[in-house]
Amino acid sequence: MLPNRSRTSVLVFLLPPLLLYCAAVLFPILQSLFLSFFSWNGISEMEFVGLQNYVRMLTADDIFWRSFFNALLYLAICLVLQLGGALVVASLLTSLRRGRELIKTLYLLPAVISTVAIAFLFVRIYSIDPVGLLNQLLHWVGLGSLERAWLSDVNTVLAAVSAPEGWRFTGLYMLIIYAALIAVPKELEEAAVLDGASKWTLFTKIRFPYIRPVWITTTIMATTYGLRGFDIPYLMTNGGPGQSSELLTTYMYKTAFTSTDFGYASTISVFIVIKCLVAVGLILFMLKRKADS
Amino acid sequence: MITQTAPSTPRASAPPSPVPQRRRRKPSLYRTLSRVLIMLIVIVQVYPLAWLFLTSLRTEQDFATGDPFALPSSLTWENYARAFETGDLGRNILNSFIVTMGANILIVLFGMMAAYAIQVLGFRLSRFVRALFLIGIIVPVQIALVPLFIDYSAVNLLDTYQSMIIPLAGFALPMSIYLFSSFFEYIPRETYEAASLDGAGPYRIFGLITLPLSLNTVVTVVLVNSIFIWNDFIFANTFVLSEDLKTIPLGLQNYIGAMGKVDWTATFAAVCVTITPLLLVFLVLNKAMIQGLESGASKG
Repeated sequence: MLPNRSRTSVLVFLLPPLLLYCAAVLFPILQSLFLSFFSWNGISEMEFVGLQNYVRMLTADDIFWRSFFNALLYLAICLVLQLGGALVVASLLTSLRRGRELIKTLYLLPAVISTVAIAFLFVRIYSIDPVGLLNQLLHWVGLGSLERAWLSDVNTVLAAVSAPEGWRFTGLYMLIIYAALIAVPKELEEAAVLDGASKWTLFTKIRFPYIRPVWITTTIMATTYGLRGFDIPYLMTNGGPGQSSELLTTYMYKTAFTSTDFGYASTISVFIVIKCLVAVGLILFMLKRKADS
Repeated sequence: MITQTAPSTPRASAPPSPVPQRRRRKPSLYRTLSRVLIMLIVIVQVYPLAWLFLTSLRTEQDFATGDPFALPSSLTWENYARAFETGDLGRNILNSFIVTMGANILIVLFGMMAAYAIQVLGFRLSRFVRALFLIGIIVPVQIALVPLFIDYSAVNLLDTYQSMIIPLAGFALPMSIYLFSSFFEYIPRETYEAASLDGAGPYRIFGLITLPLSLNTVVTVVLVNSIFIWNDFIFANTFVLSEDLKTIPLGLQNYIGAMGKVDWTATFAAVCVTITPLLLVFLVLNKAMIQGLESGASKG
């Protein structure tokens, strides 16, 4: 603490940011909580309905549950692609001698592209008529039987809209994990190798435990970003066909701005907030317990 | 195009003199495998973007009939001409620029101020305030859409630059505060104490010591946030209606014509035009950004 600080100076520095944050983030959360107890279409009188929205959401709304499970699957695919891909590439990168900078840059490139552009791009990659990149590739490697319209097939559409999101941010997480990996002390690794440790043991016993704190941060980052996934499914399929690629976020958005059911949309929002807090809590809990054991 | 240089560089570097011990056992196989794998992954990562650029130079006919992997049979700039005719790309880019600048100024200034208050000045509830800001990192931006839409229409802020800037800055603020406070930890206490003894108050110390020292962190924060803000779709899509205020992501949507029919080659040309400004900044400053990200993140 600075010796010469005064109460006013703290307020001068703290109040403007806190006000902006309250206006844009905290107050809307509370407002959602408030609105979730009402039935309101934005024009007519607001009508207090108590817990009715919650009862409807949890017991009578199949689309809600469908989108909840879709969102979990979407999250799982993103996490595998982003964290798994990032860990693999970062590990491989540490064994390269040259070209590391170039690969890092190239790998980060998709993160710069807007989601609208990515949606356009992947619509073409998945398309069947005219034949897109993916189908052409399958044809060439002799898996022609797998060719399909990936975005209109209810079995593949969810994976198809998750992959671009995973693809987009792998580079970001790779950078972070790479930075942690090259910080692992060389003496530790060399000692292990002298003791006859294999590549795999080296990784599981030395490297990974060493980068665990960074791994936790990265997992939380990727999870919170995965849970806010919206743009790509919304733009590519708008949740369809049917509800097969509907996520909680897109369902909430449509409830609010297509059906103008602000009360019910706020109920879904409250659920999303709780889901995110629970998810982050769970990750911290699981990783802590693993570290203790 | 650039991809081809990546594999050739490492291949040239066969084994230089000091081969670390652990690679001596199976040197060639493991290293070759990992190089091939890295090449493959980089191709998957970069090829779609190269393809996007190539497609923007194809003729429409070539695009509709040809093998998607083939090189264009002839190059044309016509798609770019059509792209500029269909949409107001200049206007879109300008709007994105205004929103990005506005939000960044708020994010950097307010982020620095809050971090200064929490980390350097210190006060009784600072831990609580820090935790409060943490919520903003966890919750998804979509939950603010309905409340903000209602509030904006009550105070006539719908369809303005501010309607996009406020939530974009508000949701980015926590990360910025986090990055600045972890940087402020590294400024030695003695610097502040010496300045205090010389009679400098908290405002002068902020302006004369903290601000100039944090320029590197400012670059990181601005670059990372610019990527997200420049490409923001959801706030713009919800709060902006008039053509004059549309940012790039909304402008691109104009290329989806009536009944979902899309002029793909022109659309890809438009995409190429709109990603160029950010891409240039990124390629010039990516070293600074990568360094900032790595140092910011490796602190855990």
